[in-house]
Amino acid sequence: MIHVGDVVKTYPLAGGSFTAIDQLDLDIAEGEFVAIVGRSGSGKTTLLNLLAGIDRPSSGTVRVAGADLGSLSESGLAAWRGRSVGLVFQFFQLLPTLTVAENVMLPMDFARTVPGGQRRDRAERLLERVGIAEQADKMPATLSGGQQQRAAIARALANDPPVLLADEPTGNLDSVTADAVLELFGDLNAEGRTIVVVTHERDIRSIVGREVTLKDGRLVTDQAERAMVTV
Amino acid sequence: MTSLLTVKLRRDLWATRSRLLMMVIAIAVSLTVFGAVLLAWSTMSREATSAYMSTEPASATILLDKAIDAQQMAAIVAEVRSRPGVIEATGRTQFSGEVEVNGRLLDIPLQVFVAPPDDPMRMAKFFPGLANWPPSPGEIFIGRDSLALLGVAVGDIVTVEVPGGERHSLRVADTVYDPSLSPSPQEQTGRGYLSTASLATSGDTAVLDQLKIQVADPGQSTPSRDRDAVVAVAGDVGEWLQGSYSLSIREIQVPPPYAHPHQWQADALLLSLLVGGGIALLLSTLLVANMLNSLFTQQIPQIGIMKAIGARSRDIGRLYLAMTLLVAAVATLLALAPAVLIGRVLVGQIFAFLGIEAASIAAPWWAYLVVLAAGLGLPPMMALVPLVRTSRTTVRAAIDHTGLPSSARTATGALARLSRIPGLDRGLLMALRNTVRRPARFLLAAGLLASAGTVFVAGVSLSAGVAAIEQQQTTQRDWDVDVQLARPASIEEVTRLLGQVPDVSRVEGWNRVPTGVAGPGQIPVTRTYPDQGHGRVTLTALPSGATTFRPPKLLEGRWLDPAETGAVVLNQITRNNTLPDVRVGDSVQLLIGGSYTTWRVVGIVEERGGGGGAYATAEGLAAATGQPQRVNQLRIATASHDEQTRVGVADALDRALTDAGIEVASAASVSRMEAISGGHLGPVISIVLAIAVAMGVIGGIGLASTMSANILDRTREFGVMHAIGARPERVRRIVTAEGIFLALASILVAILPMLGLTLLLGTGLGNLFFSAPLPFVISIPAIAIWITIAILGAVLATEAAATRASRLTVREALAYL
Repeated sequence: MIHVGDVVKTYPLAGGSFTAIDQLDLDIAEGEFVAIVGRSGSGKTTLLNLLAGIDRPSSGTVRVAGADLGSLSESGLAAWRGRSVGLVFQFFQLLPTLTVAENVMLPMDFARTVPGGQRRDRAERLLERVGIAEQADKMPATLSGGQQQRAAIARALANDPPVLLADEPTGNLDSVTADAVLELFGDLNAEGRTIVVVTHERDIRSIVGREVTLKDGRLVTDQAERAMVTV
Repeated sequence: MTSLLTVKLRRDLWATRSRLLMMVIAIAVSLTVFGAVLLAWSTMSREATSAYMSTEPASATILLDKAIDAQQMAAIVAEVRSRPGVIEATGRTQFSGEVEVNGRLLDIPLQVFVAPPDDPMRMAKFFPGLANWPPSPGEIFIGRDSLALLGVAVGDIVTVEVPGGERHSLRVADTVYDPSLSPSPQEQTGRGYLSTASLATSGDTAVLDQLKIQVADPGQSTPSRDRDAVVAVAGDVGEWLQGSYSLSIREIQVPPPYAHPHQWQADALLLSLLVGGGIALLLSTLLVANMLNSLFTQQIPQIGIMKAIGARSRDIGRLYLAMTLLVAAVATLLALAPAVLIGRVLVGQIFAFLGIEAASIAAPWWAYLVVLAAGLGLPPMMALVPLVRTSRTTVRAAIDHTGLPSSARTATGALARLSRIPGLDRGLLMALRNTVRRPARFLLAAGLLASAGTVFVAGVSLSAGVAAIEQQQTTQRDWDVDVQLARPASIEEVTRLLGQVPDVSRVEGWNRVPTGVAGPGQIPVTRTYPDQGHGRVTLTALPSGATTFRPPKLLEGRWLDPAETGAVVLNQITRNNTLPDVRVGDSVQLLIGGSYTTWRVVGIVEERGGGGGAYATAEGLAAATGQPQRVNQLRIATASHDEQTRVGVADALDRALTDAGIEVASAASVSRMEAISGGHLGPVISIVLAIAVAMGVIGGIGLASTMSANILDRTREFGVMHAIGARPERVRRIVTAEGIFLALASILVAILPMLGLTLLLGTGLGNLFFSAPLPFVISIPAIAIWITIAILGAVLATEAAATRASRLTVREALAYL
C-alpha cells in the first residue's frame, strides 16, 4: 500500500541545507496501523507530509495507494488526495465558515466520488460513526477539541480512502479524549483501512500493530519486524 | 465551483463584510468620479460639435478695411461662391457700442451682428426663438443669455449706438440662441442681432465689411477640417478681392475648424479630469487588489486544508474570482447612478460654460460600456496575480505560512538599531518597525494617501496661483475707471475736460488700435472667432512716462525704449496665432487703418489672457501712420477707490466727454474686468478639489485596510503581547502610532509629487486659460490642512483596527486560523 524507497528530503537554509529525511526505506502493507514516533525534529512529520504528497522528496520514490507521487502534478496530487488519502491534523483544521456536516461533505464535492444527493446522508453517517451526529449543523468553533478532531476524522473518511494519515491527532487533546480518538483509529484499522499516525503518545504501542522510530531522519527501530537499524 | 464552496463564499463574504465594504466604497467612489467625467466628456463632445456646427459657422471671415455697400457685397458674394474651394459665402458686419435699455445707459457693451434682410441664413446662422429672420425694421433680436446681463426683456426698447455715433431705438422682438459664441455673461458683453434694414436711415446705404466663406476640401461638400486648407483658400479670395475690387483686407480670421470658441478648453479640462479620475480608479483598484491579496493571504491556511482534502487550484481560483467579481459588480452598480447624476450636473455646467443648449444630455452607449468595463474588469484584472498565486498555494506553503515575511528587511533591520538610542519609547519603536514591516503594503498605503494629499495641495495651490495673478493685477491696477473712446482724441483736450470732473485725480491716455500682423507681403491671418474677443489682435501705443502700465515678463529681446519708433513688441499669444516663426529682429507688417506699416520686432513678452497683443510707443504709432499722437483708451484714478465713487466718476466722465462731442464707447469701473476674468477658472479648481476628495476617501480606505490587514496578520503576536502583560491601551497606542507614522510617511512621500503636480497643473491650466503658466505658488494653508486631515484620518482609520487588537484575548489570538 505504501512504499518509500531510498528517500532523501533536504531543506535549503541560510547556513546550508538541512536533511530532514535521510535515505529512508519503508514499506507499509494494506491494513497496517503504523505509528511513527521520534523526538522533535526527527523527521516524522516530514515523512508523513511525503506520504500525503504535501512535500516532494529531494530524491527517492514514494508510492501510496497505487500512485507514484513524484509523477503527479500539484493538481493531480490534490485529486489523488481527495480519493485515496484521509488527512487528520493536530489542530483539526476545520474550515471555520462551514458547519461540521459541510466540512465533511466538502471532500465529496471536490472528488465527486459520492453522488450529490447522497453526500449529506453520508456525512451524517460518518458523524454518527465518530460519535458527534448531533453536532452536524454546528459551526466548528462551538465544538470542543475532541469533537472537532472527531469531525476532522469524519472528514478524512468522506471519500472512503484506503489510507488515513494523521499528524499528532491527539496532541491537542486531553488524555481521555485522546484515548477515545485512538480507539476510533483502532476501529477504523479493524475495518481494513491502512493508518499511519505520527505521534508522541507513549502508550500507542498497545493499539498500533507497528511502531517506526525515526532519529535525525533515519529509521532506527521498526518494532513490527523486531529489527534494529543502526544509525 | 461546488455548492459547498458557494456556501463558504457566502459566509466568507459575511465574515469579511467590513473589509469588502471598504473595497466596494473605494472602487465605487473612484468609478463614480471617472464615470461622471467620462459620461460628461462624451456627451459634451457630441453636443458641442453638433450645436456649433448647427450654425454652419464660417470657415473664414475676410475683414475688409473699409465697409462696402450691400449691393457691391452681394455681387462679390455671388462671385466668391464660384471660386475654387468655396462652397458658401455671405456678407455681414458687426459692431460694439453703448446700449441703453428703456432709457437707462448700461455699462455693459452690446455686440451687434448685422446681416442684410435678404441673407438666406445658410451659414453663420443663429436661431431666433419665435420669430423668423429678419427682424422688422426698428426691431432687434437679443441673445438669450444676454437678457439677464442687460436686464432686458422682449418688448423693451433698447437704444444702440452705431459706429459714427448715430443712435437707433429698437424694440426687442425676440431672443436668439447662438451656440457659435462664448456665453454672454462670461464675456460681460450683450449680443444683439439686426438686419441692415433696422440701421438704414434716410439717404444712407447699408454697409458691410465682412465676407464670410465656407471652405471645403477638393471634391467635398462639407466644410473642411483642415485649417491650413481654409487659410489657403481664404488667402486666395483675399488676393482676388485686392486685385479685382481694389479692396484693402484688414485681416483674415480663421478660427479652428469645427471647434466652439471654448471647446478646446472644455476638452482639455475634461480630458485632464478624466486622467485624474482614471488615476483615482487605477489607484483604488490597486488598493482593492492589495486588500484582496491580504484577504487571500489570510485564507492560505484554509486553502491548505482544502488542498489537503482534494481541492484543486481551479476550485480555489473560482472561489476567489467569484469574490472579486462580486466586489466589482456591487461597486459598479453603486457607482453607476451617481456617476450618471454627477455627469449630468457636470455636463450642465460645461454647456453653460460653452453657452450650449444640448439636444440630449444622455451619454452615448459606448461611454456606459467603458464605465461598466472599467468597473467590472479592472478589479479582477488587478487582482489576477494574487488570485492565481493564492489559488496555486500548495499544502506545504500553507503549512509554512505565518502571515509575515520570513526574513528581516533592510528597513526593519535599520530601525532595529534605533533601540540602542536611550530614552526612546519601546512601544513607539515597535510601532515604527511595524509600519514598514510589510514594505509593499506600506508603500501602497502611503502612496495612496500621498496621491490624495498631492492632488489636494496642488488643487488649492492652483487656486492660490490664480488668486496671486488677480492680486498682482489688482495691486498693479492703480487706476479706477476705464474709458474707451469711439474715436481717438487729443490727450490734452481729454485731460482738460476730465480735470473738471469731481473726484478725478489722474488721467492717462493710450491709443489702442485694431491691427493685423503679417509677414512682409502677406495678408494678416488670425484665429479670431466671430465674437472678435478670442484671438483679436490690437496694437497698444504707450505714451512716454505711462504710470498705469507695467511691461509684461520678457521672453525674448527687450522692451521698448522711450519714444522709440519702428519697434514693436509682440506677446506670445499673438506670435503663436499669427507668425509662430517670427523672432526678435524680424520685420513684420501691421495693418493699421487700412495701411500696411512695417515694424521690427524687438521683444516677445508673456501675458496671461487680456493684453494688447502688440505694443509700440505713442511716438512709434504716430510715425508709422503719419498721424499726431491721439488716445482712445483712458485710465482714470479717482480720489477714493470705492466702487460707488468709481461708478459715479465713470458716469460723470461719460457725460463730460459726450457733452464735449467726444464719443464714448464705454466708461466703466475696473471691477467689470475682474468679473470677466474671475468666471473662467473657478469650476476647474472645484473639480480638481473634488478629485482630491475622492482620492482622499480612497487613501483613507487604503490606510484603514492596511492597518486592518496588519492587525490580522499579527493576531497571534498581539495574543503573545497580551500574554506577557501588555495592557489593552498599550496595544491600542502601538497600533494608532503605526497609523500616524504611515500618515507622516505619506506626507514626506507627497512632497516632491506635490511640487511637480502643482507646477504641471499651473503650467497646463495656466497655458489653457491664460496663455501663460500660473505663478508657482504652494498653498501653505493647504499643506497644514492636509497634514491635519491625514493625521486625524489616520487616527480614525486606525480606530477599528486598534480596538480589535486591544480587545483580542490570548485564547482568541492563539486559536486564530
